[in-house]
Amino acid sequence: MASSATVELSRWQFAITAIFHMTFPALTVGLSILLAVVYTAYLRTRNPLYLQMFRFWRKIFAVGFGLGVVAGTVMTFEFGLNWGSYAHAVGPILGVTIGMEVITAFFLEAGFIGIMLYGEGRVRPRTMAFASWMVAFGTLLSTTWILSANSWMQDPAGYAEVAGQFRARDWWQVLFNPAFSYRFPHMLLAVLISAAWFVGGIAAWYLVRQRSLAFARRTLSLALGVLAVLMPLQLYAGDETAVFMGQHQPAKLEAFEGNWKTDNNGYNLVVIPDPGRGRDNLRIEIPHLGAVIGKDLTGQAHVPGLLQTPPDQRPNMWSAFYGFRAMYFTALAMFAMAFAGLVLRLRGRLFTARRFHRLLVWMTPAGLVAITGGWITAETGRQPWVVYGLIRTSDAVSHLSTAEAALSLAGFVTVYAVLVAVWIRYIVRTVKAGPEAVDAPSPARFLPVRPTLPEAAHG
Amino acid sequence: MAEYASYALILFALGAYVVLDGYDLGIGILGLFDRSDHRRKEYTELVATAWDANESWIILAAVILWAALPGVYATVLPGVYLPLVVMLLAFVLRGLGLEMQSSAPDYRPGWGRLFGFSSVVVTLCQGLVVGTVLSGLPQHGGVFDGGALRWLTPYSVLCALGLTALYLLAGAAWLQAKTQGSARRRAARLGRPLLALAVAACLVLGFGLEVADPQHFRFDQPLRAVLFGLLVAIAAACGALAWYGFGREPDARPFAAVLGAQVAGLLALVTATAPVVVPPGLSVHAAASPVGSQVFLLIGVGCCMPVVLAYNIYAWWVFRGKYRPPAEAALAVSAEPRQPVDARTDLMTNQIAPTENGLMTLARRVGFTVLGLGVVAVAQDVFGGQGEWIAPVTITLFGAGSLTAWLVGDRRAAAAGEFDIDQAAER
Repeated sequence: MASSATVELSRWQFAITAIFHMTFPALTVGLSILLAVVYTAYLRTRNPLYLQMFRFWRKIFAVGFGLGVVAGTVMTFEFGLNWGSYAHAVGPILGVTIGMEVITAFFLEAGFIGIMLYGEGRVRPRTMAFASWMVAFGTLLSTTWILSANSWMQDPAGYAEVAGQFRARDWWQVLFNPAFSYRFPHMLLAVLISAAWFVGGIAAWYLVRQRSLAFARRTLSLALGVLAVLMPLQLYAGDETAVFMGQHQPAKLEAFEGNWKTDNNGYNLVVIPDPGRGRDNLRIEIPHLGAVIGKDLTGQAHVPGLLQTPPDQRPNMWSAFYGFRAMYFTALAMFAMAFAGLVLRLRGRLFTARRFHRLLVWMTPAGLVAITGGWITAETGRQPWVVYGLIRTSDAVSHLSTAEAALSLAGFVTVYAVLVAVWIRYIVRTVKAGPEAVDAPSPARFLPVRPTLPEAAHG
Repeated sequence: MAEYASYALILFALGAYVVLDGYDLGIGILGLFDRSDHRRKEYTELVATAWDANESWIILAAVILWAALPGVYATVLPGVYLPLVVMLLAFVLRGLGLEMQSSAPDYRPGWGRLFGFSSVVVTLCQGLVVGTVLSGLPQHGGVFDGGALRWLTPYSVLCALGLTALYLLAGAAWLQAKTQGSARRRAARLGRPLLALAVAACLVLGFGLEVADPQHFRFDQPLRAVLFGLLVAIAAACGALAWYGFGREPDARPFAAVLGAQVAGLLALVTATAPVVVPPGLSVHAAASPVGSQVFLLIGVGCCMPVVLAYNIYAWWVFRGKYRPPAEAALAVSAEPRQPVDARTDLMTNQIAPTENGLMTLARRVGFTVLGLGVVAVAQDVFGGQGEWIAPVTITLFGAGSLTAWLVGDRRAAAAGEFDIDQAAER
């Protein structure tokens, strides 16, 4: 059996690679839909503004997508590299789910992305639009399968255990397990929202700088419109998910609420937990709010504490509590900003409110912060189980030496740090360079422009 | 039977990977030895249109392996931990170099070198992995239990070099098919030496396997021996065709021949080893997952595969023929200018908004935000759990309201010309 150091190192490695990978889909799913929408709008109106938007966001999408693909390749192998025993036990279930993701979604994206990125002038515009929609559809399918697989690990259903290996008894229950129906909408909204903030924040930057105004206004209007609709939905979906998880994984709820004894009716804002002694060294709370959120209007009910869970089944309160707070507080800020945007729009001042635009620039990474916090809560809150209630994380690792695990972790940290730096620099440069200029005076109505296909495309 | 079908599927994905990503890895390495920036830019652009799809095949091979033969997956991956991790890191860097190169308007030597060197590393690591698996991995109960340096054997090192030669050959063949002018001439000239190198590598590796292999192939079954001989003969014929085709029209012939040789070679290897997947003792039967999983996977993947192949072929068709630089039309509009709108115009009244008292404004904004949060709190049914219906109904109303406000506001802004491109205001 592998040493506990190997387990810890492998966990860190998986966490880092997973968070890193997550950053890219969190943007590219939403961006792919945006690209498909604006290209379709271009087809319908022939307004070059939409083509300008398409080409600009495509630049950012292309690199993000490419990095997402390679980071995703890493994930596929990691299940077996560091978690061989886990891979052997759940291969008949999760291997199949992820296999279906690859064949239905991954190939769809990969097959059409070439056309979407390099096809202009080679294929008809309608084919470009079709390819864009196929890429968007592929990213959505991918999200679906991955959430199904992860939700099965959170709340396994429809399985039978035979000689230490899990096999499906009922595929319907495996794929559409109870947790999936809560977590999928939550995550789907999250990725759309994070892309909308990203896009909206960058558009706001152009407005602050008074550059590329038509482009910036169109993008900002779209982003804030989407956010005004999705943010309230997301708060609802998130609340439902938290309630569901509280029922199915009580320890996770106890950890992310930050209480040890079940004697607190307040809502904790800051805690400094002391897991060794089973108490909080510091606790800043809003009295009664915890009980109210737990549906007791009198404010007397107590929020369950982590001491209710046996010590060998307790997750880490630090990560679960602060992961949850990062997600939740960011979500509140996002909601407030989306709502302010709605009000400004109704008052016809969306494109002139300078202070609002400056605030929006700061919101650019908000969605990514919330998604990262949420996943930290979901994944560390499930510990010490890798498949909840069935396989412990410590029993899941491969037969590896500590040196191997340490070396690979160091490699991933180094390469990913470089990668993040390059990626951010690329985005900053692309944004500073701005969208491609449009050569013409300002138009009122647009004459349809038939793009000419080069002769070579005909044969 | 299901496990053989799954094994065939894995081999198909693996074969597709070797054929497709083989050429783009080869092109990556060849780019390192080219002095012309113009050609190198062309090479990366050639790879950029296809590498996503090419690399997807190794992911497919890995997950089907996981789903269908978890015993093999759990043995091989930890068994070749370090080379695989290095390969993955090199994949990441390769993607980075390629994407950054492709998004830059001209050739960037730094990204180009990163792309080239990581292609070398990926290739070497894949060779090490293949060599290690062929020379055997110790396992117990479907889980690897050997040492950390198991992958470092003379045979695996030879395999790494051999695979490099093979990918270089595929890269040169692809370049002859897809480029014109000096790039094509270069590729055609490189083809034959590389082919000779690849054939030498295959011979060394083929005979070396007799020594390295712990399972000791036996060709005393007539069917196996005949099949093996036939496949080797096909591979040899394809090699001869490639030799003839380099530097001659039609330009696609060398790659087609190399493809044939690769497929025949892979099949010959399988013929020699089946049903053992990981020597010495891990066979298809022992490593397989339950029949239910296999059938589900086979039906799912089987139904999708024709569609996947169809659009992969379509994507290939779009980029068929010789490489041409992207042909994007310039952004242009043709229409008369319109009257610019003052940015401060109130869109409801079409008047310039009067300057307001700052404190009042702030108070109103805070008020609105608090009101908004209150509405959501009610909508979420935070205050009491009074009824299951409250949340969905209010959320629907809220969403519909936001949507209406968005659409109306958008239309109004468009009518006011907010979205018109005003070149004077552009940078």
